[in-house]
Amino acid sequence: MPKPLIILAALLVAVLLFSCGEEERPVRVSLNNRQEIAAKPPQPAITYAYLPQYSHTESFQRHQQLVAYLAEETGLSIRQVFPETFAHHISMFSQGKIDISFSNPFVYVNLARRYHAKAMARIVEEDGRAEFRGQIIARRDNKAIHSLEDCRGKSWVAVDPASAGGYLFPLGLFAGHGLTLRDFKEVVFAGGRQENVILGVYAGLHDFGTIREGSLNVLEHKIDINQLKVVATSRSYPGWVYAYSPRLPREAVDKIRAAMLKLDYAHNPRHRAILDAARFIGFVPSDDLDFDPIRELNGKVGLEGE
Amino acid sequence: MSRYLCKRLRNLRFSTKITLGVTLMLVCSGLGIGLFLSAMSSKALLDEGKKRGMALTTGLAFRLMEPLLAMDFLQMKNLIDNNHDQYGDVLYIFLTDTSGNVLSHTFSGGFPTDLLKVNLDSRDLQPLFLSTEQGAVYDFNVSIILGEEKLGSVRLGLSRSQMDAQIRQQWLISLICTLGVVSLGIVLALWYARTVTLRLNRLRESAEEIVKGNLNVRVSTPLRKNCWDIMQCQMTACPAYGDIRRRCWHVIGTLCLHCQGKASPLKSESCRHCPVFRDNFGDEIQELAVAFDVMAVTIKRHIEALTERETIITRQQGLLKTIMNVTPDFITLQDKDLTYRFASRAFCDYFSLNEDEVVGKTDADIFSGRQVDLNFHEDEQILLTGRPLAKEITFHRLDGQQWLHIVKVPVYDQDGSIMGLLLTARDISMLKKIQEQLIQAQKMEDLGRLAGGVAHEINTPLGIILGYTQLLMDDTTDQEIVENLRVVEKQAKICQKIVADLLGFSRHSQSVRESMDVNESLREVVQLVEHTFSREGITIIQQLGEAVPPLVGDKERLRQVWLNLFNNGMDAIGQNGSIVVRSRQGAGGKIEVSVTDTGQGISAEHLNKIFDPFFTTKPVDKGTGLGLSVSFGIIKEHGGAISAQSPASMEYLADIVSPPGRSGPGTVFIVKLPAEKRHIG
Repeated sequence: MPKPLIILAALLVAVLLFSCGEEERPVRVSLNNRQEIAAKPPQPAITYAYLPQYSHTESFQRHQQLVAYLAEETGLSIRQVFPETFAHHISMFSQGKIDISFSNPFVYVNLARRYHAKAMARIVEEDGRAEFRGQIIARRDNKAIHSLEDCRGKSWVAVDPASAGGYLFPLGLFAGHGLTLRDFKEVVFAGGRQENVILGVYAGLHDFGTIREGSLNVLEHKIDINQLKVVATSRSYPGWVYAYSPRLPREAVDKIRAAMLKLDYAHNPRHRAILDAARFIGFVPSDDLDFDPIRELNGKVGLEGE
Repeated sequence: MSRYLCKRLRNLRFSTKITLGVTLMLVCSGLGIGLFLSAMSSKALLDEGKKRGMALTTGLAFRLMEPLLAMDFLQMKNLIDNNHDQYGDVLYIFLTDTSGNVLSHTFSGGFPTDLLKVNLDSRDLQPLFLSTEQGAVYDFNVSIILGEEKLGSVRLGLSRSQMDAQIRQQWLISLICTLGVVSLGIVLALWYARTVTLRLNRLRESAEEIVKGNLNVRVSTPLRKNCWDIMQCQMTACPAYGDIRRRCWHVIGTLCLHCQGKASPLKSESCRHCPVFRDNFGDEIQELAVAFDVMAVTIKRHIEALTERETIITRQQGLLKTIMNVTPDFITLQDKDLTYRFASRAFCDYFSLNEDEVVGKTDADIFSGRQVDLNFHEDEQILLTGRPLAKEITFHRLDGQQWLHIVKVPVYDQDGSIMGLLLTARDISMLKKIQEQLIQAQKMEDLGRLAGGVAHEINTPLGIILGYTQLLMDDTTDQEIVENLRVVEKQAKICQKIVADLLGFSRHSQSVRESMDVNESLREVVQLVEHTFSREGITIIQQLGEAVPPLVGDKERLRQVWLNLFNNGMDAIGQNGSIVVRSRQGAGGKIEVSVTDTGQGISAEHLNKIFDPFFTTKPVDKGTGLGLSVSFGIIKEHGGAISAQSPASMEYLADIVSPPGRSGPGTVFIVKLPAEKRHIG
C-alpha cells in the first residue's frame, strides 16, 4: 500500500480513537432503596446570639471565631444562633433560646427590664471607646439637607425601631432640637440592617437615614461612600453589651466573662484576629447601671415602658 | 487485488481521478473533522453540563448559607424545591449538615440512603458519575463553607439524559453539516475537475491536432485587451503588434521601451512588471496554454522554414540528379570501403545495370576479376595517398573500339579525412575518332599542299609533253606511231587532269562571290552534260523549285560542284539510269540541292570516307579520288554542308522511273547552302 494511504489510514484511526474517547465509568447507585430519615437534634449548648444588624453570614463571620474561643477557653459548648430580626432576638431571649445576647444598649435595657437580662461586659469599639453614637447621613449631592433642621419634612429611613445607633440616638438628637416623629415626611425601617439604610439613602429612595457610627465602613468596598455625607452625629451612649440570661449558671457566666476580658488585642495575635473579625478590640466589665443614660433617652423620646 | 485496483485507478480519466481524490479527501477530512469536532463538542457539552450542575450546586450552597445558619428549614426546603422544580434535569437535591444529617431534600417517599454512601467528600473530583434506575446522573457535592467553617454540604443530582440528547442532536447536526459540506465539496470538485480537465483536454486535442499536422491551433483564451491597446503604442513594426495568437512577453524582439533589445530571460523579468503582463497573466494552465500556442506557432514557422528548405533541397537534389543522370559522363561515389554510394545513369546504362544493382555494391559485384583487381589497387592507392588519378583506357566492344577518360579524386569530409572516392569517366571514343580524322585531315592537307606543288612543277613538263606529242602526231603519218602518240596524248591528258584537280584541290585563291541563281547554275551544267549522259542511257530529271532564293557564291566553283556530282552519279549508274536533281528552299533559310542517282550505291563502310581526298571505288582509269573532296571544300567555303545517303531515301527517288532491273539502291548527295541574307525570311 502506498505510504500516503498508510498515513491517511493512521490519521483516520487516530481521529476515530480520539473521537470515541474514554467513557466515564459510572458508580452504581440505587435511588429506589429508600428510608425515612430524621435529623439528629443538636447537642445541648449555650446559645450565643448577635443582635441581627447584618446578614447571618456577616454575623457568623464576625462572631464565629469569638464563639469558638469562648467555647475553647471556658470548656463550655457554645453555639451561635441567628435571630432574624431585633424582635426575633428579643423573642428568642424571652424563650430561653438565647443564653448570651450581644445587643445594643437599647435592646439590653429592654431585655433587662422585661426578661431580667444582666450585663456582663461591654465591647471596646475600634476607636478605643466603649461608647458609640448614631449618625444622620444623606447623599452628598442633596443640597436640601445640611443640618438637623433641614431634615424636617423629609423621608427618614432608620435601621429598626429597636436600633440604638440606627434610630434611638438620632431620634433623641432630633428631640433635643425640637423635632418629633410627626415633623418628618415618613419614617421607614430597614429591617434591622444597617446596610439597607445606607443603600436606601445611597439609591436616593430616602432623603436621609440614621445608622450606627462606623457602619459606613462596612460598605466601603461595595459602594462609593464618598457619595454620602454625615449630616449630624448624636452624643455618645454606652456601647454594645453582652448580657446573659438569668437561666445561665453563674459559673458559666463568670467563665465567659473572664474569657472575654482575657482577650488581649494589643499583644496576642490570635486574640487580635478574633477581635478583628468581630470588629471591636476588646471588652470592659459592665453592669446594669452603665445603661441609665439609655433609659433616660427612652424617656426622652417616649419609648419608656415598651 | 491492490494491483488490479491500482491499474483501474490508473486507467481512470483525469477528471474522475480529481473528483475521486477530492471526494476521498473531503470524506476523510469531513469524517475526521466531524468526528473530532463532535467529540470535542460532546466533551464540551458534557463539561458545560457539569459546569452548569456545579454552578447550580454552588449557587444553591451559597443561598443555603443563611437559612442553614438560621436553621430555617422552610427556607432551605423552598430553595431546594425551587431549584429542583425549575430545572427538569435536576433529579434531586439534598442538604446535609457537618454531621451528615440530611437537613432537607427533594425526595418523596423516603430518602435513597445509597446516596449517603457515595461522593461524601466534596474535595474529590466533582461530579461523581452515577448509574441509577433513572439513568445516568452526575452527582455534585458542594460544601457550604463560611470563612473557614464548613456548615454543611449540598448534593445535587443532574440527569445526563438531557446532555445526551443535546450531544445526539449535535452529532446529527454535525453529520448533516459534514454530509452537506462533503456534497458541496464533491459538486465543487466535479466542477473544478471539469474546469481543469476541460482546459487540459483542449491542450490534448490541440496536441493531437499538431500530431496530425494542423498547427493552426489555439488553446489559450483570447486576450482581454491587446498589448498595443494597453500600451497605446501604435508601433506597427513591432512583431507583437497584430499577433493575437501569442502573448507579447513570449515574442522576441518587441519594441516596448522597457523590453527593447533584451534577450529572453531579461525580457521575461521586465515583462513581469508590465501592465500588459499584469492584465493578461493567467494561472499555470493558462500559461501552459499560452506556451503551447507559442510552441505551435514556433513549430509551424520552423516547419515552414524546413519545408521551404526541403523544397529547395529537393529541387536542388532533383536538379543535381537530373544533371547527374543527363550528363553523359560516368559519375560514381564510393565510400572508404569502396562500396558504391552513387552511380549516375550514364554509368548504369553503360554497363546495362540498374541503380539498385550498383548502389551498395562493390566492384567485385559488377566487374570481372582482372578489372576488379586493377580498380582495387588504384582506389586503395588514392585512398592512402590522397592523390587523384587521371587516365585513358580503351577496350573493344561490339560497336567498336571504345575510349574512356577516367578521373578518380579522393573525397574529404569535414575533419579533413578521406571519406570516399569520386570517379568521373567520359566516353571519348568519338573524340578519339575525330582526333584521328583531324590527324588524317592534317595529313591530307599536307599531302594536298605537297601534291599542289608537285602538280605545279609537273604541269609545265606535261604541257610540253602534250604539245610535242600533238606536233609529232601532226608530223607523223605512220599510223602505228600515231596510235602510240595518241596513247601518249591520252595519258598525258589524264595526267594533266590529275594535275588540274590537284591544283584545284590545293588552291586557296580568293574566289569571286556574287549573287546567283542556283537553278540557273544547275540548268547550265545539265545542258552541258545532258547530251553526253544520254548516250549512256542516263536521264537527268530536273525538279527545280521555283521559289529558291538566290545565294552569294562563286558561279564557276559551284558549277564544278554540280558537275562533279553529276559525273559521280553517272559513274555510279554506268549505263541506263536516272539522275534527279532537285532544288528547294530548306529550313533555316538554307537552299537545299540534292542529286540522286539510281546507281549501285555506296556501302556503309565507305560512306564516311567518300569525301576524303584520293578515296575512290572507281577503276583506276575512271577517277582521281579528288572530285568529292574538292566539292566538299567548295561547299564548305560557301558556308554550306554536303552529305551523302546511301541507299537514297524514297523521298528523293519516288518519282524516278528507271528501266526495270537497272535501278540500284542509289545515292543522294544533299547540298545545303545559305541563301542571300536579304532573302532570309
